[in-house]
Amino acid sequence: MIHIAGVDIGSAFSKAVIMAENKIIAYQVKPSGGNYRLTAEQVTKGALTKAKLSLKDIDYVVATGYGAANVPFSREAVSDISCLARGVHYLFPTARTAIDIGGQFTRVFKLDKRGRATAFLLSEKCAAGSGRFLQVIAKVLQIDLKDIGELSLKSRNRVDFNTGCAVFAESEAISRIAEGAAKEDILAGLHRALAAKVQAMVERLGIEPDCALVGGGAKDIGLVRSIEESLACRLLTPDEPQIVAALGAALIAGEKAAAIKASR
Amino acid sequence: MTEEKKPEEKKKRKTATEAAAKIGPMVKAMIADVLQARKEGKPIAYTFICCCYDEIVRAMDIVPAWTENYAGICGAKRDAQRFLERAESEGFSRSLCTYALCGLGFDAWREQLGEMPPDAPWGGQARPDVMLGSGQILCDPRNKWYQAAQHYIPDVPVYAVGLPWPPYESDYDYREVQDYYVKYIVEELRGLVAFLERHTGRKMDWDRLSELVDLTDRTWNLIWETYELRRAIPSPMGTGDAMNTMVPIVFMMATQQAYDFFKELNEELRHKIANKEGEVPDEKYRLMWGGGLPAWFALNDFNYFNSKGAVFPVETTYRTVEAVYNFDIDLSKISDPLEHIAWRWVKFWTYWYDKARKRPGSHPDVERLIQYIEDYKIDGIVMHEAFSCRTWHVGLIWQLNRLKKIYRDIPSLILESDIVDISSYNEADTRARIDAFIDTLEAVKSKGK
Ligand code: SF4
Repeated sequence: MIHIAGVDIGSAFSKAVIMAENKIIAYQVKPSGGNYRLTAEQVTKGALTKAKLSLKDIDYVVATGYGAANVPFSREAVSDISCLARGVHYLFPTARTAIDIGGQFTRVFKLDKRGRATAFLLSEKCAAGSGRFLQVIAKVLQIDLKDIGELSLKSRNRVDFNTGCAVFAESEAISRIAEGAAKEDILAGLHRALAAKVQAMVERLGIEPDCALVGGGAKDIGLVRSIEESLACRLLTPDEPQIVAALGAALIAGEKAAAIKASR
Repeated sequence: MTEEKKPEEKKKRKTATEAAAKIGPMVKAMIADVLQARKEGKPIAYTFICCCYDEIVRAMDIVPAWTENYAGICGAKRDAQRFLERAESEGFSRSLCTYALCGLGFDAWREQLGEMPPDAPWGGQARPDVMLGSGQILCDPRNKWYQAAQHYIPDVPVYAVGLPWPPYESDYDYREVQDYYVKYIVEELRGLVAFLERHTGRKMDWDRLSELVDLTDRTWNLIWETYELRRAIPSPMGTGDAMNTMVPIVFMMATQQAYDFFKELNEELRHKIANKEGEVPDEKYRLMWGGGLPAWFALNDFNYFNSKGAVFPVETTYRTVEAVYNFDIDLSKISDPLEHIAWRWVKFWTYWYDKARKRPGSHPDVERLIQYIEDYKIDGIVMHEAFSCRTWHVGLIWQLNRLKKIYRDIPSLILESDIVDISSYNEADTRARIDAFIDTLEAVKSKGK
């Protein structure tokens, strides 16, 4: 049996996926921290332990993400857009547009029926266009990142933000709290601001259904609803949206391993 | 103290052509000539590219000091930050054009010290006798940079030459108004000659001016013909090299040296084509640099593209010439050299108007992209948004959208950073974008396979 692995070292989180026979057998997610090399080892080891395997059982490893160069045991590095496209295609074969909201960037891309990215856009180098925006505000509001989504859905009186800048939004959020605005209303406003940025990117690229939403941002149900409202369409979201790039990397590793086997 | 910071120089970019590799020493010599002129008391003018006063300045034996060039050198040597910081501490906003900021920071420092700032790249930028701005396009520095520089060199006069061209209208033939534009520009150029005579003590040599105007026409034709050779498959020269060979185009026009340079490059390209010698051994993707000034400190990114089998046979940036024999006017019949310059200017900027009017919804800038896509067999477009130059970057996304609407959807990549400000650049991120773009090119190319 061929075992393959995909390792995605992102700016905020790192993920590893182990696959066999085109199925996920284990995965692991952990914060990236400051030492990408160590994180790569730890996150892969975590996934391998769950799969009751060791690194020498793995036939091919593909790395991706911001820190892909720090995975010394990978056979090659593949761009994150390509991995994301492959991962989205595996999960949702009908998806032709996908949005990835990561810790540092938001990516919007189109994919063909073979799961290859044919066009893409990245958000500007600005925290307001990515998951970072929500992390900053969660800290200000003293709430857990994972609770943001549910809480924001309780909003009855959304606070509209005057700025698209994360730094200004932070101070605006503080003054709104001082004025007595409810946390859920502030969160709903932030989701709206981020959704507007995503909407602009999607419109620039041109949306083609079905549309999937992946990345850490897809864990935030409030954000998902807000983007659905902006785009006026239902979004496909996976159960574990953070591992999609690592999954795609593993799928590419599978193709490579199969090609090597066939050539023997 | 920031003043002592002296960053490491980036490793030199490998050029594809021998001609492009000669540019570095040529620029160095050009800067040295300006410093020498200062010593000898020859008049020096601060100048901008694309202001069509090249022949005038040279015919009067005034030495041009290209301020954008000097800022670009500081950027390429990764030594611009200390000048940017100086300008910032003088109260200039960091969101202004970083060429201007770098130049202003440098001037402020030089004037304060009464000598060149320590370790000034290539000996520094000499104090001018006059400064020649211009009113054209969206570039406010062309109007304002030198006025701001007068804070530090108040005794140096500025002349801003008005250089308009008829705006594009899809339902209107600009030829109805072109004569007025030419007349206006000629008046502005006459004013410039008078200004220079007054402030430098030099007299215009009108015969010499006519000779240089003719030399410039011939150089434009030669450049156009040379760049057209890059249509060959595999392409013998890319945009990375063209970011070097722009030097004779924009900083040495109206000199025999510029003409000879392109003669040599032309021969070299012909030789490469005859031997099927491409910029890369295995050409896979042909890209167009579809707009934006480059990140001067990151020209190695072109080599990175090359390492993926991608070449750039054509670019819109710094291709500021056309073959004058393709204009709908015979310039050789115009005897007044200033009028000749004015017509060349108007004809260059309106060159794509007729084509655009024939395609509903098109625009001259988009038409130019379409023509290059077809002539150079282009697979994808790369643009660079340098945050501090609005002039060339406003409208890039609009052009891509329009292209998609009226022509076809072609893969595109927009890189983001700056011309000079290295703090805006992230190599890992840029390269990740390039990798992803190459993957999409491959996916699009192999569609249906
Ligand atoms: S064209 Fe752009 S880079 Fe050049 S001087 Fe003007 S604003 Fe600055």
